[in-house]
Amino acid sequence: MNATTNAALPSSQSSPKRIRENSSVAQFLIHVFFVLACAACLIPLILVAIVSLTDERSILANGYSFFPEKFSLDAYRYLLGDAQRLLNAYGISILVTVVGTVTSLLISSLLAYPLSRKDFPQRNLLAFFVFFTILFNGGLVPWYLVYTNLFHIKDTLFALLVPNLLMNGFYILIMRTFFTTSIPGSLIESAQIDGAGEWRTFFRIVLPLSLPVLATIGLFTTLGYWNDWFNSLVFIYDNRLISLQYLMTKTLLSIQFLQSNTQNSNVGKLLTEMPTETVRMAMAIIGIGPIVLAYPFFQKYLVKGLTVGAVKG
Amino acid sequence: MSALKKKMFTIAVFVLCISLVMAGCGNKNSDSSKGSASPSASQSSAATGNGEGGASELKPYKITLVYPGDTPKDLQEVQSAISEYLTEKINATIELKPIDWGSWLEKTNLMFASKEKFDIVISAATLGYYSNVAKGAYLPLDDLIAQHGRDIQGVLGDEILSGLKVKGQIYGTPTNKEFAGANGFLFNKALVDKYNIDLNQINTLEDLEPVLRMIKEKEPGITPLFEGNNRFVGSLVLNGQYDGLGDGFGVLNRNSDALTVIDKTEVPEYLEVAKIAHRWYKDGLINKDAATVKDWGLMQAGKAFAVQQELKPGKDAEMSTAWGFPVVQKQLDVPYTTTVTVAGIMLALSKTSENPERAMMFLNLLYSDKKLINMLDFGIENKHFVKKSDTAIDYPEGVDAKTVGYRNEAWMFGNQMNTYLFPNEDPNKWNAFSEFNKQAEKSIALGFAWDSEPVKNEVAAITNVSKQFEDAIISGSVDPEVYIPKYREALKAAGLDKVIAEKQKQLDEWAKNK
Repeated sequence: MNATTNAALPSSQSSPKRIRENSSVAQFLIHVFFVLACAACLIPLILVAIVSLTDERSILANGYSFFPEKFSLDAYRYLLGDAQRLLNAYGISILVTVVGTVTSLLISSLLAYPLSRKDFPQRNLLAFFVFFTILFNGGLVPWYLVYTNLFHIKDTLFALLVPNLLMNGFYILIMRTFFTTSIPGSLIESAQIDGAGEWRTFFRIVLPLSLPVLATIGLFTTLGYWNDWFNSLVFIYDNRLISLQYLMTKTLLSIQFLQSNTQNSNVGKLLTEMPTETVRMAMAIIGIGPIVLAYPFFQKYLVKGLTVGAVKG
Repeated sequence: MSALKKKMFTIAVFVLCISLVMAGCGNKNSDSSKGSASPSASQSSAATGNGEGGASELKPYKITLVYPGDTPKDLQEVQSAISEYLTEKINATIELKPIDWGSWLEKTNLMFASKEKFDIVISAATLGYYSNVAKGAYLPLDDLIAQHGRDIQGVLGDEILSGLKVKGQIYGTPTNKEFAGANGFLFNKALVDKYNIDLNQINTLEDLEPVLRMIKEKEPGITPLFEGNNRFVGSLVLNGQYDGLGDGFGVLNRNSDALTVIDKTEVPEYLEVAKIAHRWYKDGLINKDAATVKDWGLMQAGKAFAVQQELKPGKDAEMSTAWGFPVVQKQLDVPYTTTVTVAGIMLALSKTSENPERAMMFLNLLYSDKKLINMLDFGIENKHFVKKSDTAIDYPEGVDAKTVGYRNEAWMFGNQMNTYLFPNEDPNKWNAFSEFNKQAEKSIALGFAWDSEPVKNEVAAITNVSKQFEDAIISGSVDPEVYIPKYREALKAAGLDKVIAEKQKQLDEWAKNK
């Protein structure tokens, strides 16, 4: 980046070139700004990676450092020693994320599409229900009661799929806006004239035209599923069903909890048996895993999807 | 007009549909609970009729035990082994339900709130014992103990049990363990041996000071005294000198016979110890980040000589194993029994238990049956442990504490003094515990449980103030002559006087009904 600005500097005599110079100074500043912003995001990540590779004793003695005294793979060795638990949690997370995202997109779009059609009866009432759930909910205990005592999904995979995550009113409103603004009513009409039924219109015409919004919402739900640990915390007792994020979160939560309960001398001892700093960092690195790969895939649609409904009217 | 009517109609239909659905489910639920309630009633009558006599005459029942901890690999296997044993004894089976420490409070609170059916749950003063009693989540145990828990009474003694009474009723049976706290220091053994330090000569902080100075001089890389994570020089006085009466705001002086709640910052010892701590801090005997460290830091890294610690017999052996190098302990005060140390860890029965009698029989076995408690703690013999003698066990070959398929915390359940010991533990540990308990001075307010509800806003404010000052003062990080008056002022502004008055009122009330 420096090379390009330097190359632009010497030939700055005539006025158009001066403009270019100005703009290249601005360009330089902008670049500097974004390099710094980028560094602010990346450096902590690099630190985590380095800490995960540091020898435990040198962390206890010197604290975190970019240039540790001694490197060690112990943390990863420790995690791989218990690989089955880790792989299992990975499997659960991936399964839940894929199934959840696909189902969620399907249900959301199937609700959002009718809401976008002007000829759908009572669509304002239905939209109001969607809207209402964004603003109000029953609170934690009733929420828990409904899922455990009414639907009995405690300690099953459904507990990771259904609560909170399957449908989000906000996403539905985004989708509805996209459908109303980007899919011309005349297009749907002409499809009908050509003899397409509602299902065919929806799947063959509306959905293919809505890839940007599907990708955007898809990314949100993917992240939601991948990062969710609360449902595991609340509903799951069986160790084979917990997700990767909860596997990691529970270690942190346990440490926090034990630290705030040090009056009990036995608890103090438990604390020393918890995974060490380096192991926690290694877990974070492993946890980033496949989700990083999802970003480039969705990115192409992301900007397009986010500006949905912003300018068109 | 007609449009409005139409809308109203739709809403009405919708509401009706929802209420129908809900009513349907509600009915189903109440049916099922009715269905399950009646056999349990007949079960319980059978149980009370027969006492503990014949197991075969009791109807089968599954006891659910909820406790904090990791789920071990071989949980199912141990569970069925225990069930088999229990079937013989009281015709019951067991379901072990460990919950991670991190989600313990959320999960159990939701279980209580949703009236989930389970029988026995771990409780402690720090795990919400008093708030759960107030909520009505636990069953009162007095009658049950009298009927089916005679061994519990025999093992623990009335004094300890009544230390847990809330409004005249017992709600939990504590683990039979150390019921007192004593304060002192842990020392890095390598350094103690290297300089031939006679720990018996160290009985006060004044005795300790020259040793710390010597370490500082001779061992430049070593921090003489490590402070952090609620382990400060001042903790000696805070924990040793007072009965904190629950939250530590408004305390009783241990050496006084009067039930008078006082402000700890006004006691001369508080200033004294803070002064010593500050002197040590200034002279570099203490790590500079004392007030903010949240772990064992330098001590665990082997780069410190001593650390303040609440002690019990064998604490040094425990920490030596945990840290991987030997440490020794030295106790500086006489053990002290307060409500909080008694309520350290206990087993409570859930209000939702369908057969509290059977659950109590199981509890009784935990205090009397050696085989059962060791199975619950350590798993199956020759698979998870091998016996070395009548009282000692070790891990089987090729297995260690990290890889063993089943292991519970022995201090959580029943009569800990019936449990086996590992080779790195003192074979006389349980005798030492009994001795320690006997030695202990009992607080004159033992059994008093502080209810902070009437002044909870003040307590919250005081907690914030104390976070700001306390650690800094008792760790010696700031000059006590300046900061203790400031601290006192801030406490007063936050409403300490009101809290003390309320505490005094409750304490007087308690003393009257004792």
